[in-house]
Amino acid sequence: MHRLLDILASGIHDTKNQLFSAESLVAASEAKQRVDLSEVRYAIESAANRLSRTLAAYQLMRHGAQLAIVPVIVPDLCAEVALAQKHHLANSGITLTIDCQALDDWPLDRDLVTDMLNNAVQNAGRVARREIRLSAIEQGNELVLRVEDDGPGFSTIPPAGGTGLIVAEKLAELHVRQHRHGSLKLSNGGALGGACFELRLP
Amino acid sequence: MTDYAKKRFLVIDDQPQARDALRTVAQTLGAFAVEFASNYQDAIYRIRNITPDIILCDYMLGEGRSGQQLLEELRRFKMLQDESIFMMVTGEQSYEQVVSAVELVPDDYIIKPFSPDKLLLRLERIVAKKNFFADYYQQKRKEEFSLAIALLEQKRNSEGGRPYRFEILRQQAEVLLASGDSNAAEVAYRDILESHDFPWARAGVARALHKQNRLTEAREEIDRAISGTPHFFDAADLKATICMAQGEHAEAQKVLDEVAKKTPRNYMRKRLLAEAATLNGDVETARTAMAEVIAGDTMPGAVSAEDRLALARSHVNANDKISGERVLVSMRESEVQNMNLAEQASFAALMAICSPEKGKPRFTGLRPALLATELGITARLDVMRAALSVADNELADLHTEHLMAGPEAKKTFGSIRSQYALYGREKDFREIQKQVALKRIRHEEVAPAASAENGIESS
Repeated sequence: MHRLLDILASGIHDTKNQLFSAESLVAASEAKQRVDLSEVRYAIESAANRLSRTLAAYQLMRHGAQLAIVPVIVPDLCAEVALAQKHHLANSGITLTIDCQALDDWPLDRDLVTDMLNNAVQNAGRVARREIRLSAIEQGNELVLRVEDDGPGFSTIPPAGGTGLIVAEKLAELHVRQHRHGSLKLSNGGALGGACFELRLP
Repeated sequence: MTDYAKKRFLVIDDQPQARDALRTVAQTLGAFAVEFASNYQDAIYRIRNITPDIILCDYMLGEGRSGQQLLEELRRFKMLQDESIFMMVTGEQSYEQVVSAVELVPDDYIIKPFSPDKLLLRLERIVAKKNFFADYYQQKRKEEFSLAIALLEQKRNSEGGRPYRFEILRQQAEVLLASGDSNAAEVAYRDILESHDFPWARAGVARALHKQNRLTEAREEIDRAISGTPHFFDAADLKATICMAQGEHAEAQKVLDEVAKKTPRNYMRKRLLAEAATLNGDVETARTAMAEVIAGDTMPGAVSAEDRLALARSHVNANDKISGERVLVSMRESEVQNMNLAEQASFAALMAICSPEKGKPRFTGLRPALLATELGITARLDVMRAALSVADNELADLHTEHLMAGPEAKKTFGSIRSQYALYGREKDFREIQKQVALKRIRHEEVAPAASAENGIESS
């Protein structure tokens, strides 16, 4: 039963290794030739993330996923999303601002949540005019992570054809702490006037 | 920012292409000294020679070894100080599952592909954390436990400690356990569980309960920690140890058999498997496991006199006295002289069993010491057995009484009974058991709080 999953996982593993070789070669030439090839690296990393996300979705749908919960320092989480996206967005004239008011460590699945936020920022990047904001705040006993933009907002909620969204909702719900579940909400009329992606984690 | 040009890097990966990629990334950070290790053995050799400042280690090392195993071995043999940075590098999402479950974790892990900037971000974070904990690491290394705990308490209440709440709690629990205060360690781990059900914290509770000899509860906790975390191999070791203490040797062996298959070159685990198999009466498995340990554990200085004694003992158990004698005779006299008393006692006892004419004089020579000294359970069992074989009932019964009165009575009960049966002394064994029980009752009338779980159900 798990054989197909093993084959997929090992193929993706090898591919990511090769992508890593490619990315390190790009980084080396950047340092040597003093050129900016960050868009090449961004494309490589996006491809790798997409592969991982596909595998995670398959695993979740087929076998049910198990999260890997570790204490994560929230400002570090935000910094990592900024590092992954800021430069790329700046190339299209969009500023990514970070407003992190949660200073503690929080138990969550670091790679899943980072990927969800990266994905949300990427999606916002397609419609945003000038600004995207990633914010983190502790509210009661929840960590609230929001990605907001100044675009036109969603035309329908939930947006059409969002299989990724279904997966993301499930992954949010899998975060459980003392019987409280995580949740995901999309809405319009965020702080910047456009769409708002809101992830709440117990 | 840290000056990476002054840092000594070690890149561990069995794939040449991946090694080159990691070196390139390190050099982009300004690293000047980047060493390579292409396999497990090579890595240990280099780390022993000069501890690197920063280790970038791939999770998959080939030959049945993983970066996780390397990390565990380095920590256990104290070859990796808290100040060194160990970063696991992996293309596998599944390593997250390992990190979230196990007790021994790297400073961080990073998933390929990643940019030099991302590695830099992660390394800077680790450096900040290590700076925050620097004074604590020093006290911990000196085993100044109360000072270490006081420092943690101070950090816990500080503003700078906010990002490290869980790390502080985890360190507190670990230091309490290391200092021998298993009651306080249990409380500390339970505090963490209040916040989130981390498998490593639950295993910590089980460890603390095991130290308190509250075996039934320890077993429940470790079973919970293991369920749903198939990667948590150390928890399986702990479960087996608890099972053995409970006298459930078949279950202990079963647990270890399964995990040992997945980690064929973990020789600590193989030693534990040999112990469980011995107690379980599976002499061949024990013999094979010990032979593999001695042939395969190439960690310098890892194969000890104790291991060779265990191999000889496994031959004795299999009734192969010639092989047992061969192992014992192969140990040099200087090595025997350097053994501690318990090992010398085992050596003399096993020799007396394998070859009475060669071994008896040494064993008899040690008799006064064996009557007067406290020994560990393995040595006591060996001495008891040799004493029975040379009809020295007084010596045999003395050690049996100690074993039956001690905290590990359940573990050794089956072995002792079968030895007495071998010499037709079942009745005498039951009499010793009875005397021990009577003494305990008298003792508990004086101090009723004494260990409740030590009793043996007579069977």
